Amino acid sequence: MFQAKINAGLLQSSIDAVGVFVDECKVRVDSEGLSVKAVDPANVGMVELDVPADSFDSFEADDELLGLNLTKFDDIIGMAKAGDVVALELDPETGKLKIQIDGLRYTLSLIDPESIHQEPNVPDLDLPGEVVLAGAEINRGIKASGMVSDHMAFGVEDKSFYMSAEGDQDDVRVDLTEDEVISLTAEEDARSLFSLDYLESMSKAIPSDAQVTLYVGSDFPVRMEFELQGGDADVSYLLAPRIENE
Amino acid sequence: MDLGDYVRELEPTEERRKRELARKKSYEILDHMEDVENEFSEVVQGDSLYGSTAPSVFVGRSNYPRVNTGVLQPVASEADASDHATSSDWYGRGLEIDDVLSRRTSLLNSRRKAEVTRPKGERFLEIQQEVAAASEPVDVEVQLDGSPDIDVSLDALRTPTGPNARAVDADLAENPSVPRAVEKALGDGDWKAADAAGYLYEKGLDVYDVQRVFSTGGLGVEDDRRLVPTRWSITAVDDIIGKHLHQEIQTNPELGETRVYYNEYMGNRVWVVLGAGRWEFELVEMKAPGSVWNPRPDGEYYMASASEGYGGRTQYVDETSGAYYASRLGVLEHLDDIGRQAKALVLRAVGEEYWAPVGVWHVREVVRNAFDGPLGWEEASDTDDTGEAGRGAEAESFHDAVDEVADYLPVSRERLRQKSTMYNAVQSGLGDF
Repeated sequence: MFQAKINAGLLQSSIDAVGVFVDECKVRVDSEGLSVKAVDPANVGMVELDVPADSFDSFEADDELLGLNLTKFDDIIGMAKAGDVVALELDPETGKLKIQIDGLRYTLSLIDPESIHQEPNVPDLDLPGEVVLAGAEINRGIKASGMVSDHMAFGVEDKSFYMSAEGDQDDVRVDLTEDEVISLTAEEDARSLFSLDYLESMSKAIPSDAQVTLYVGSDFPVRMEFELQGGDADVSYLLAPRIENE
Repeated sequence: MDLGDYVRELEPTEERRKRELARKKSYEILDHMEDVENEFSEVVQGDSLYGSTAPSVFVGRSNYPRVNTGVLQPVASEADASDHATSSDWYGRGLEIDDVLSRRTSLLNSRRKAEVTRPKGERFLEIQQEVAAASEPVDVEVQLDGSPDIDVSLDALRTPTGPNARAVDADLAENPSVPRAVEKALGDGDWKAADAAGYLYEKGLDVYDVQRVFSTGGLGVEDDRRLVPTRWSITAVDDIIGKHLHQEIQTNPELGETRVYYNEYMGNRVWVVLGAGRWEFELVEMKAPGSVWNPRPDGEYYMASASEGYGGRTQYVDETSGAYYASRLGVLEHLDDIGRQAKALVLRAVGEEYWAPVGVWHVREVVRNAFDGPLGWEEASDTDDTGEAGRGAEAESFHDAVDEVADYLPVSRERLRQKSTMYNAVQSGLGDF
């Protein structure tokens, strides 16, 4: 059993956050709320999404696992106007998802969850650098790096956080000291390099006004955690690094 | 054997001798082209009907979408027609630059102007397509316009071509034999071009054969079928077949080790480094001052590179162009053969001896054939290994291997690092942590 009503904006930004890495995913619903865990086909990027039950206008669910074609679902939810409420209901007879947006009814066939890429195990990582900063700062660093290269570094050194990219012609570097970010903890210096292909699409899902907690290590995955719509949903990204030639 | 020894044995020899030879050859080819001109004048004088065996076709790109399109026939009637069509056989027989140029310039291109949409009922285009589809060269008689243009010339940038003549009409002098798979693809107007091309390749046609059919508008959904200029079609087919193989190898187990291969051909030295992990590919080109396509005025090596990650490319490359797709195809074919996926870096050093463009096929073949012969790990304990082209060697890690190879490249490690995404860093997976 699954029956819920949700604000279209929250639903849209949740889809966008997951769509960075996958075109289809398993959606878990239970009495606590809705959650998604998915990894991209290259096993490089992972997303965890949690939308707690009380972020919905109404929410009722037994344990269910829905296989969702995200591209199609995104198109349908794209029909909603700002402020619309989207009603979702799993039809127990047909196993299809009934979607209702302001008089528009759409019945969406679900995918067999077994046919979808296995949900990943989340690696347990000890990342020495932790910085909290505005989404806008990260997005700005990613955008500037994309102008000169196809990869960029996140790092901490001397009580500051930096983003940098070296192209074959030009270089970019953003330094943010302890005082220029919301908070910074660094047990030791750390630096890892990442593909901008991934970061640029992640950047589109990171709200500028969100507070992002970024964890960085040396040649280790980066973790980014932030909230959507002022706390109605939690997103966590994990991205594997490009290992540098020492 | 140790990778260091292996690579040392590959050091270029006789470079100076080759360069001198190249200078001499460029005069020889001009002489040859004059001969072709004379021979051709004799053949067509007073008689505008020209008959010989056509091994191939040509579609020009000037004035697109109204292009020149024709059948290619050797000028000398006793010549072996199949020997004149570009194929992997040219590599196998060790053809050199001047051999290729003399074959190319000996072909008469009897052509007509045509809309690329291939209007129905144009007999000339149908005959052209039959020549392209045939498994063997076909006897064709062409009615030529009275005034053929027999001016052949050689310049630094364009691949030299043979004489052109304007065709009024053409006729098949024999019934061409068309492979069943090709007939099926030609006849199915609901089949997407990429899928049909993949099918032909799986049925054993080489990319050269697929390209000829593709170029004459023989593949694809009926209303979308177009003449595709030869130059574009070569890279399009490398890309289509490459994507087809890419899909196959993406689910293969990882190679799990590092291997280095070397080969050289026509002044091109090529290293292929395969490494552990998921598919990732890069081509880095280093072109000597004085070689073809080096636009740098400062007398330095010109560098270009392009790469893709596990999921492949979505946009055409900015640098390296056709060589990217040709070399990627060679690597993908090898991985498909051994049932593995890997990270692959192709380093192509173009020497001064590469003095005239012969077409991107030589890049495809030098990479394809780099994997021939015993593999490195089988040879590791064999002290007799001569390290000749085609032998692979093992190394500790991907970056160790490229570092070793870098000693023999014509550019510094610093420049390589600036230009090469993969030399700089390789993508890890979440499973590695």
